[in-house]
Amino acid sequence: MAKDEFISTGIDKLDKLLEGGTPRGFSVLILGTPGSSVEILCKQLATVGKVLYFTTEETEDEILNTISRFGWDKSNIKIVDIASEYSKAVLSSEEKRISVYKQRSKIKLKELIEIGSSGLPPTQKGAEDFLAVLSNKLKSAKYEKIIINSLDFFLSQYRQEEVIRTVHAAKISNLENKGVLFIIMTRGIHGDIFERKMEGIADCVLELEVLQKGSAFERFLAVKKMKNYAKKIGIARYIIDSDGFVLEMIERIM
Amino acid sequence: MANVLIDGLKERISNAIKINQSIGIMLPGSNYSDLVQALFEYINSKPEEAWVYVTVTKPYGTLVKQYEYLLEAKNIKFIDCISRAAGILRSDSNCIYLESPSMLEKLGLEIMNIFKEVDEDTEKFLVIDSLSNLIIYNDAEIVTEFFYHIVNRTRAKDIHTISLAIEEEGLEKHLNRLIYLNDKILKVRDSFI
Amino acid sequence: MQEEERLIVDNERCKTGIDELDIQLGGGIPTGSTVLMVGSSGSGKTTLCMQFLINGAQQGERGVFFTITEPLFKLTKNMEGFSFYDKKLVESGMVNLIDLRIISERLGLDTEKYTAEDASALLDILRDIADELNVKRLVIDSITALCYRLQTPEMIRDFIFKLGSSLAAMKCTTLLTSEVPPMTFQYSQYGIEEFISDGIMFLGDLERKGDLIRTFQIVKMRGAAHSRTKSAMSISSKSGVELAPLLKSRE
Ligand SMILES: Nc1ncnc2c1ncn2[C@@H]1O[C@H](COP(=O)(O)OP(=O)(O)OP(=O)(O)O)[C@@H](O)[C@H]1O
Ligand SMILES: [Mg+2]
Repeated sequence: MAKDEFISTGIDKLDKLLEGGTPRGFSVLILGTPGSSVEILCKQLATVGKVLYFTTEETEDEILNTISRFGWDKSNIKIVDIASEYSKAVLSSEEKRISVYKQRSKIKLKELIEIGSSGLPPTQKGAEDFLAVLSNKLKSAKYEKIIINSLDFFLSQYRQEEVIRTVHAAKISNLENKGVLFIIMTRGIHGDIFERKMEGIADCVLELEVLQKGSAFERFLAVKKMKNYAKKIGIARYIIDSDGFVLEMIERIM
Repeated sequence: MANVLIDGLKERISNAIKINQSIGIMLPGSNYSDLVQALFEYINSKPEEAWVYVTVTKPYGTLVKQYEYLLEAKNIKFIDCISRAAGILRSDSNCIYLESPSMLEKLGLEIMNIFKEVDEDTEKFLVIDSLSNLIIYNDAEIVTEFFYHIVNRTRAKDIHTISLAIEEEGLEKHLNRLIYLNDKILKVRDSFI
Repeated sequence: MQEEERLIVDNERCKTGIDELDIQLGGGIPTGSTVLMVGSSGSGKTTLCMQFLINGAQQGERGVFFTITEPLFKLTKNMEGFSFYDKKLVESGMVNLIDLRIISERLGLDTEKYTAEDASALLDILRDIADELNVKRLVIDSITALCYRLQTPEMIRDFIFKLGSSLAAMKCTTLLTSEVPPMTFQYSQYGIEEFISDGIMFLGDLERKGDLIRTFQIVKMRGAAHSRTKSAMSISSKSGVELAPLLKSRE
């Protein structure tokens, strides 16, 4: 019964911290800071269950290589490689740019006037609409876990309201699919109000923090919000070794 | 009985407008519908003339329901200043709807635009129904300025005007100032009946 | 003698064809000027500019309308609602409607963002097209939308000044539309468009008894003794844009 209710995160102690895993239908916001190795956490999350993984920073190859290095299972991951698509789009538009004058000399003025007066709608968009890609893929998803790493990319390309709308839609379809949606976002760069809004939408908020203690750094994973499970709020120190995330000292706040 | 009254009104209008460029008609509210009936019957009997009727009192829809022959009349065009503002949306070939009775400049433009399309030799007439209602929707000062423009412009184009002023308490002062811009004033009194 | 003098004056003025406006301008816009048509959204900039081109074409002056904000099908659909809009003048090439976005797309420019080089390439094309078509009247609708595609204030400044000098070198009379937020008293979004223009016309609003009355005012016009009074403006299917003296209540 418990197995049905929760989906394992893929990290033993994290499941324990959450008292069984992530409840089905939950949307989990993971707030990272630079140096928290959130990208490793993402991949580790992706090793259990049927997973759809959106990547905006790393390419598919990079991800699969890292997973192999840790010796994790990668047979159940489907990766949507927005990072590669984006860099291709940027490159090709750079290529086009360089040739504006060349292009100009190739087309006769009369022809250009004719094109301009023909009134056909633009044939191709300047770049792919990645937010649309995201929301379409999310809708059709039949996966146990969906990981978006990271929302930062979309926030750099689209207005916050548009992104929020997509996240909302994703949350709802995830609820229907009874999977778990993980959204990764960097803390402190999108404005307080936006962070509050995102925390409001999420059913569960995990925060990774790096604190300096003398000359060493200590890393903490905090469960900041757990909807309907108040008692699960807690904090754990973690390190990263050859097995990935290892949670050490668990402290329950409530 | 009523016919005698209507005929009397028609005759007074007819006589006055023949010799004057512009006439103002002062009347108590109780005589309003008689006067309008007289006016419409008079207009209907003059198919060779061109009339523009500005209504700030009753919606065009209400007028044509009451006087069905207006629907077919070729010699009269309406400018309805109140339907749109009241949220009534209809479109008629015979009527221009103004967004609001406070758009006086636009009203002036529309009036002159209709007359622009009329033959030089056709006799032209403008009815403003009514100055008192224009004052209700606008400041009296601005209506005075508007009316002053209209009287001058219509005079320059040889257009006759008939302006109605319904006597209303509190408005006399303004109405008197306006109505005396006309060449001739007709006073309709209850006592005539 | 007198007849001849009048002819010369007429030659130097580009009649907008909106009677009251030409009267206010003392005959028309001084030929060759660049005029900024400022107004908020829906104030009638596009309509007035199109009327200017159509009226010109009826007098044998060829014109070109560069649209950036609205795609052509939308522009023509809106304009077909006005009786002044004579499709035949478009079909015969007296009025040319050109979608700048399609052209920039065709040249491989990112339609949403321009670099400085893109912008000057586009300027060259604008000029070449105007030359090729031998137009006497030119409209760019809107300059705000063009600048919106430039990334930094410096680029915008630079572009506007280049545009100004290109337009000055051309012989045609130009209307540039400029969008400003409603109820503002600035003439342009970037604060510099007005320096390259010889004239500024402002399409505004005035609240009266809770209704908004359209207003029109010539703010400046180099080389013309013009009226500076605010007029009331009307837009109607039948007559397009018209002006009338604004009634001033003592409020
Ligand atoms: N057929 C019509 N009859 C009367 N008024 C019309 C008609 N078509 C449009 N209008 C009015 O004209 C206005 C549109 O004018 P126009 O498109 O020229 O404005 P604009 O200043 O170019 O606006 P934008 O900044 O949105 O491009 C509309 O707000 C509408 O009220
Ligand atoms: Mg426009």
